[in-house]
Amino acid sequence: MLKDLGTPARGLVRAAGVPREVRRRRTILVLIILACFTLIVLDARRSAGSPVEPLRTGAAAVFGPLESTASSARQPVDNLRDRFAETDRLKADNEKLQAENDRLKQELNTTDYARNRAGELDGLLRIAPKFTMTPARVIGVGALQSFNHTVTIDAGSADGVRADMTVVNGSGLVGRVVRTTQSTSTVLLIGDRNSTVGGRLNSTLALGFVSGRGELAGTLDYKLVDLKAKPRVGDRIVTWGSSGNAPYVPGVPIGVVTSVSATAGALGTTATIKPYVDPTRIDTVGVVTGPPARAPRTQLKPSTTAGSAR
Amino acid sequence: MIALRVGLAALLLMLAVTIQTSVLSNIAVAGVTCDLVLIVVIALALSRGPEWGAISGFVGGLLLDVVPPADHTAGRWALALAIAGYVAGLIRRETSAGPVGPLGVALTVVFGSGLSLLIYSATGALLHDPSVEWSQFGVRIGIAAGYDVVGAIVVIPLVMWLMSRFTAARERRRVTP
Repeated sequence: MLKDLGTPARGLVRAAGVPREVRRRRTILVLIILACFTLIVLDARRSAGSPVEPLRTGAAAVFGPLESTASSARQPVDNLRDRFAETDRLKADNEKLQAENDRLKQELNTTDYARNRAGELDGLLRIAPKFTMTPARVIGVGALQSFNHTVTIDAGSADGVRADMTVVNGSGLVGRVVRTTQSTSTVLLIGDRNSTVGGRLNSTLALGFVSGRGELAGTLDYKLVDLKAKPRVGDRIVTWGSSGNAPYVPGVPIGVVTSVSATAGALGTTATIKPYVDPTRIDTVGVVTGPPARAPRTQLKPSTTAGSAR
Repeated sequence: MIALRVGLAALLLMLAVTIQTSVLSNIAVAGVTCDLVLIVVIALALSRGPEWGAISGFVGGLLLDVVPPADHTAGRWALALAIAGYVAGLIRRETSAGPVGPLGVALTVVFGSGLSLLIYSATGALLHDPSVEWSQFGVRIGIAAGYDVVGAIVVIPLVMWLMSRFTAARERRRVTP
């Protein structure tokens, strides 16, 4: 570094002189690194109420509408992507067929579940829970560079969405709301490594836990509570629900078992689950904002579920 | 003029964050999107030097940390991009007096994306974030670097041209009296 001729801001350097300028930029770097570490330390203690939270709220308030607007530019981008490869065109065709299938599949899954519950619990025909939902669109997707499986949706506290609400779409469970602002919310997908959902095998009603693997396809791990119980390939898994319906409501289809293996280094078995929801193609979702219109067990309406499931 | 330049940089960063989170994620390759913010930071660093690189990296990274759908500890991308921006500015200073050639820019982008992803993952590991997987780290760094170079081909000349317009006017004024 002889004369610093390569400095982009030539005027500045001439005025300041080399050593002072170097000192200054080092001071700036050190200050910035210290600021980053301060931020990380402040924000790492989530339980104590992070001071960064107002910043997030503010950022969401500014960028939510921007993202909403920008994602309307998605149509041409989508078209571009479809033009890139023939497989994508086939995928689009496939998607259309799948959409038709989705309704039928979900009905099949819930009937199965309902039938088992009915036999198991009280011999009554269980009515599949019909919850109040708020529809929303995905307007931002977390990049895998961040190892995060989160999306932003365009419904917020103004629409009655609060943290710890279940998010579903036509094919099954998407995730849960972790943070909301006035007009947007952040959804943690079930494929994230931070996510654990209580899941119930449709065939035996055995309980277990579904946790994300952090993979692109959203593949999930399933561990049963009962170490002796064994899931079978092809078994379907639905949520068993949390108390007060938060964060997960019962009876939402999660996925299907694709392979079963012994848990490495522990007792019991781990099943690999292919989720019904393809995490790369989530668009319209529903946030469960209210309990079922009536408690499922108080009334018997054989005509609603049993009839429509045919 | 300085205010104008700062405003331009801020506008570019905001635009980059918006596009990266809502549009580019739809054309992700194996889930990895183009780090538009990183590219803008590197472009600013290349045109204005390491201080600008560090500060714009901090601001851009902080935006990535707090703008939804981010759900990680704030400050991690800020740290990663600030250091990447600073180093990119240094590369610009040390290599040559003339403008950096296309190959130099491409190498800077590859290096910057690798460095920032490494710092981001390392801070995650320090914080015991369960979502950081080192097994997939190599693949993602490769895809990200390649994708970033493709993005940089379009974005960096554009940003540097914008910045140089404002710089040139300022320096012209300085020289003439």
